[in-house]
Amino acid sequence: MRVLLAEDDPMIGASVRQGLRQDGFTVDWVEDGIAAELALAENVHDVLVLDLGLPRKSGLDVLRGLRRRDDRRPVLILTARDAIADRVAGLDAGADDYLTKPFELDELAARLRALLRRGAGRASPLLVQGAIELDPASRQVRHRGQPVALSAREFRLLEALMARPGAILSRAQLEEKLYGWNESVDSNAVEVHIHSLRKKLGADTIRNVRGVGYALGSSGMSA
Amino acid sequence: MAASSIRRELTLWVFTGLALGVLIAAIGTYLRARDEANALFDYQLKEMAASLTDAPFAPGPLPGVGGAPGADALVVQIWDRNGVQLYLSQPRRDLPQNAQLGFTDVHTSGGDWRIFSTLAAGQVVQIAQPMSARRDLATSMALRTIVPLLAVLPFLALLIAYTIARGLKPLARVADAVASRSPASLDALPDHGLPAEVTPLVHALNGLLQRLQHGLDAQKSFIADAAHELRTPLTAVHLQAQLAERAGTEAERSAAMRELKSGLARATHLVEQLLTLARQEPGVAEPPLRDVDLTGLARSTIEDMAPLAAAKKVDLGLEIEAAQPDGGSAVRAQAAVCARGDPDALRTLLTNLVDNALRYTPPGGRVDVSVGREAGTARSPWDGAHAAPLGSAEPAAARTGNRSFLSVSDSGLGIAAEERERVFDRFYRGRAAAASDPVHGSGLGLAIVKSIAERHGAEVSLGPGLEGQGLSVRVSFPPDAA
Repeated sequence: MRVLLAEDDPMIGASVRQGLRQDGFTVDWVEDGIAAELALAENVHDVLVLDLGLPRKSGLDVLRGLRRRDDRRPVLILTARDAIADRVAGLDAGADDYLTKPFELDELAARLRALLRRGAGRASPLLVQGAIELDPASRQVRHRGQPVALSAREFRLLEALMARPGAILSRAQLEEKLYGWNESVDSNAVEVHIHSLRKKLGADTIRNVRGVGYALGSSGMSA
Repeated sequence: MAASSIRRELTLWVFTGLALGVLIAAIGTYLRARDEANALFDYQLKEMAASLTDAPFAPGPLPGVGGAPGADALVVQIWDRNGVQLYLSQPRRDLPQNAQLGFTDVHTSGGDWRIFSTLAAGQVVQIAQPMSARRDLATSMALRTIVPLLAVLPFLALLIAYTIARGLKPLARVADAVASRSPASLDALPDHGLPAEVTPLVHALNGLLQRLQHGLDAQKSFIADAAHELRTPLTAVHLQAQLAERAGTEAERSAAMRELKSGLARATHLVEQLLTLARQEPGVAEPPLRDVDLTGLARSTIEDMAPLAAAKKVDLGLEIEAAQPDGGSAVRAQAAVCARGDPDALRTLLTNLVDNALRYTPPGGRVDVSVGREAGTARSPWDGAHAAPLGSAEPAAARTGNRSFLSVSDSGLGIAAEERERVFDRFYRGRAAAASDPVHGSGLGLAIVKSIAERHGAEVSLGPGLEGQGLSVRVSFPPDAA
């Protein structure tokens, strides 16, 4: 899952980015409101972590603009002011959740997973497709009940496919989920990861729709 | 002795006045009664003498004189033309044996006498009356006036005590209102229904309460701001600690610890700056101002900061400047540059300025500390040495007399003209500064500088820095008292 982090404090931003990466998220970090809006316009992020005290354009303004465009991506606000009025203003402006600084990295990651789950209309924390079970929190995958060891990128790729069952994701869309801004993408990286996933989970787990992209295979659903 | 009390004072003075009044009334009544008694008795003596002289004296009891001879009794003597005493009503009385016509007062061993003598029908008739009779009458008349007054005195006293207590009640009410309020409540005291004497007191109290409220509000918002500003570095430290905890390999752990340490350094710096600012707040302990050698101060501050400058590869140095108001004498430059001030505070000021300059000057840059004297009326300080365009923050140095100045110039990022007012606000960080500084400054440095400068009556002005870029901060002390 790809997270846009808008945080102006360099130390907090760097730590949150590192922590979320460790938790399996792809993270892009911007330091002001204008940059946040530009990044949002790319429409590649699944969730926004927004500090309210951003320079150039306040977090609240970014949030209002997002909702005015009817962008429904989940937003979690970070605020240093713990007055109820601040949190109420944030939630009323369209935020889905908030955390007050200082906060725990584990809690931030858990709340983001919950937001993504709710956004996808799922109640269970586990993603299940046929014989494949994926737990975003513990980052474990089981195939027919047996744990399968996946690399970080393989996990993210599978998660992206399982998050939207039935949808066909293009190679570019999968690349966007897998790589942040500063991470270089090998030309055939997605194919390499798909290949390795098929090897670990079964050849027909992932279907290739020629010229369109990839989807979870029908055999995976029936098995 | 107890503290002075309005009630006691009032009671004491009212009763003293009352007692004096009664005493004066008694004395007055007595004196008047004595005068009246004198006139009355004198008339009586005259009448009596006249009645005795109506007919030639015939020995025998006299009408109106006889009876038992008492202390108050009149004494009558009659002589014939030859001075032979014909009659003496009370022989034992010791009276003068001669007669002076008319009224006389005589002192004898038996007391004072009032004597009336008259000559008629060849006889001298003399009537004497002891003065004590008159005094007794006057005293009894005076007493009759005083006694009723003394009788009502207790009632008067009660009335006075009641009136005083009643009159002082508003004060007690105000005292109650002040005493019963909680320390947090600084609302104005009610001033309706108060007497004119108490109202100014309540108004003065309310004024004080209002000023206290403003001071408290300022403190509260400062504490709120400070708490908020502290929360950011603490959040960073908190996150860095979590990353350190999560670290799986030795390399990751040491990297995380390095981050954690720099986060702690930043939080510590902010706390130190907050403490410095709190110490510079007006109204704390104000040390006496003395003459501070600015050149020496600049030298030792530069010594302290030199390692930091070296680490940042910034050329930090001292320049001694002097204005030449009298046509130029180079010798002046050697003279010590002094200013009246608190040396510790001035060191803090200069350290903050140098620290700021170093913080925002890239490696290879330059930071100059200058001290010197300038003529108060002279040219703008940005002329001459720094041939940079004049900013809007050009100081209005229009006073006469020579003044000392301290300035720190750098070749760093500078501050945009439109930001120059705001950078003195607490926690405000310049845009260029915020963008460049990997480890955040506290946003308090210039607020501290301003606070210290204000205490010294010095002006702080911002201008362009070295080589047409960067920032120059100049602190101009008040002109010397001529």
